[in-house]
Amino acid sequence: MRAIAVGLVLVGALAIGFFIGVMAQLGYEGAPFLPGQKWRVHDSKRPQPPVVTPASIPGNPPSDAIILFDGKDLSKWRSAWTGGPARWKVENGYMEIVPGTGDIQTVEEFGDCQLHIEWMIPEDVKGSGQGRGNSGIFLMGRYEIQVLDSYENRTYADGMAAAIYGQYPPLVNACRKPGEWQTYDIIWIAPRFEGEKLVRPGYLTLIHNGVVVHYHTPIMGLTRHRRFPTYQPHPPVGPLRIQDHGFRVRFRNIWYRPLKGYDGEPEWRDLTFVVFPDLPRPQSSAK
Amino acid sequence: MAKYGYDDTPFLPNTKWRVHDSNRPQPPVIWPGWFSTQEAPGEPPSDAIILFDGKDLSKWVSVKDGGPARWKVENGYMEVVPGTGDIQTVEEFGDCQLHIEWAAPAEVRGEGQGRGNSGVFLMGRYEIQVLDCYENPTYADGTTAAVYGQYPPLVNACRKPGEWQVYDIIWLAPRFDENGNLIRPAYVTVFHNGVVVHYHTPLFGPTTHRATLPYQPHPPVGPLRLQDHGDPVRYRNIWYRPLRGYDGEPEWRDWTPIVMALRG
Repeated sequence: MRAIAVGLVLVGALAIGFFIGVMAQLGYEGAPFLPGQKWRVHDSKRPQPPVVTPASIPGNPPSDAIILFDGKDLSKWRSAWTGGPARWKVENGYMEIVPGTGDIQTVEEFGDCQLHIEWMIPEDVKGSGQGRGNSGIFLMGRYEIQVLDSYENRTYADGMAAAIYGQYPPLVNACRKPGEWQTYDIIWIAPRFEGEKLVRPGYLTLIHNGVVVHYHTPIMGLTRHRRFPTYQPHPPVGPLRIQDHGFRVRFRNIWYRPLKGYDGEPEWRDLTFVVFPDLPRPQSSAK
Repeated sequence: MAKYGYDDTPFLPNTKWRVHDSNRPQPPVIWPGWFSTQEAPGEPPSDAIILFDGKDLSKWVSVKDGGPARWKVENGYMEVVPGTGDIQTVEEFGDCQLHIEWAAPAEVRGEGQGRGNSGVFLMGRYEIQVLDCYENPTYADGTTAAVYGQYPPLVNACRKPGEWQVYDIIWLAPRFDENGNLIRPAYVTVFHNGVVVHYHTPLFGPTTHRATLPYQPHPPVGPLRLQDHGDPVRYRNIWYRPLRGYDGEPEWRDWTPIVMALRG
């Protein structure tokens, strides 16, 4: 028995030794350190990135995504008004706004992330301007990306589909026709506060139907109508809210992945001044 | 002009536009195209500049001698012919959204850096690694989709060898002042097969092997270069769209100082 145990320990030690040997061979030991980092260039010991299986169909969730809506039910959602069950319609793999039932939001709260959501304006849409297939995606329940039928339907630039409502128009109008599914691929960095003080604005990158329409754009504050946006402090997580603006709009395939930092760091951070501590800080020219 | 918005709302900071301004320029209308599948490449957006559509290498030249690119073109893709050297686009460009698809050889050979190695060199200088890292470990900063020698991808989102993989890249070229000093590093965002693997990451400098290099001043545009690293890697459906600023501004810019000044 003891001999077997000793043998197992020996085999284990050999296996670990072999493993370390293999690890060591992955890279190099003698290369210089990366400026401001604890890793050398091609460092054998730098952590291997976690393996994720991407989806076989574009837009479908990768293996590490958290699914918020898979087309079957609204179990992850509730009424933003009452906190009770979300009362939108679910059929044929999508949810559809039932006008008058109010906004819905996820039970789950999250912050920095990659978020995917698909939406469609039904083909029988009527109305014009803001009155045509209006809805909205509210990140953390506060910061709106506009949903609207902006296919051959003019409105004010900062209120069209994919606008950061009331702040930034999309770089281009990449809308599909009513009746066609559209995608938003979002990278979201939540704003950070220290007490009452904003220390970093929220940042949004948005890809609409595969086309970049915002890149690393700092949010000016809470979404408002006809008013100047301002920030109010809040935690670094919040629910995803979808707006009932009185129009039948459909949504499907909603998922997110928390956005983290390199090498297992818990948060994304802007590394500019870590890598380049002497770089001149951009000066504001705001009046 | 018909009134589409409001003219009595407050001005947005540092812009000439009011909230919901009727006169704020309408964004250009484009057709977004279609996504690719394993079976067929998608269609680029209508405002994209096509660098390779599967038919020929007319937009590419050999890096070595500036002559014709001598990689193989068949069945809608190009394939590295080992020994013919890197190729690069005739066109030079800077800040952009870049889409490129690639496939590592279905027949697996070699290991580590020796398996399906190639690379996408932005502006001919800054490499996003192409490698078959499906069940093939190597040093982290040399993994598929790494900013080679600088940043590993946040995750390894590789498909199997032989399958088509996608890089969707948002690229900001570095900027230098008139004395050649760096005033803004290059930034890269990469989606690998739809998964974010870098977000607004500042590059240390140009790509090299087993060393670091400081930035060397260069123009804000350069060619896209693809590497011949000796493996028959395939590419298809390569296009880019210049990345511009809001409201017709010619360049993307960081609005952070403006937004942060609102607090003061």
